[in-house]
Amino acid sequence: MRRTFQVLNELKREGIISEYAIGGAIAALFFTEPSFTQDLDVFVKFPEPEKGHLITLKPIYDALRERGYREQREFIEVEGIPVQFLPASGALLEEALREAYNKRYEDTPTRVMRPEHLIAIALQTGRAKDKARVCLLMEQARMDNDYLRSVLERYKLEKEFAKWTR
Amino acid sequence: MDKMKSALEKILAAKNRRRKRLAALPVPKKIAILVQMQRLAAPLLKAQGRDSYIWKIGGKE
Repeated sequence: MRRTFQVLNELKREGIISEYAIGGAIAALFFTEPSFTQDLDVFVKFPEPEKGHLITLKPIYDALRERGYREQREFIEVEGIPVQFLPASGALLEEALREAYNKRYEDTPTRVMRPEHLIAIALQTGRAKDKARVCLLMEQARMDNDYLRSVLERYKLEKEFAKWTR
Repeated sequence: MDKMKSALEKILAAKNRRRKRLAALPVPKKIAILVQMQRLAAPLLKAQGRDSYIWKIGGKE
């Protein structure tokens, strides 16, 4: 795991991505008890593309392939962990990436989305497992309630939140 | 009925205490627990025809 985070940091250092943050179940695990997952979700931001160029995940996959990592369906296995790279597109994901916490895994720095954003993203995604994640984070994560309220207001998720946490 | 209710309450309280302990563990320990969950789930997922992955942490897998 430590090595996987080191590879993500290398991608950033080399300018292949301009920023990243861990999301999903592994980000939640930084704040709660562990819950089942099989992949590591990594949200990424790319350097500004040249005019007229589309943003794709290709530069990441090319850089990882060069290092000898192999793709498996929607994942690429990095140091024994299936990693799913997701572009941070849309206002909520962009904010979550920008305001992610700097954390350490053992001695390796990494970036992890805040629990308030994990809740908002789960509310937007809306699957059964997202509902479970919202409940778990509400129960166990240390959060800034004012900040959570402001995120929910900004992305018009208050009703959904009220429904899910009733 | 009261006895059963009280036994159930004790079980739930113990479960909650355990979950709080798990939440307070260092992240690498939580990852080790997750890998154990993946090991347990793998035969079930395979039986359902679904993909299963067990993370290869520290070259142990």
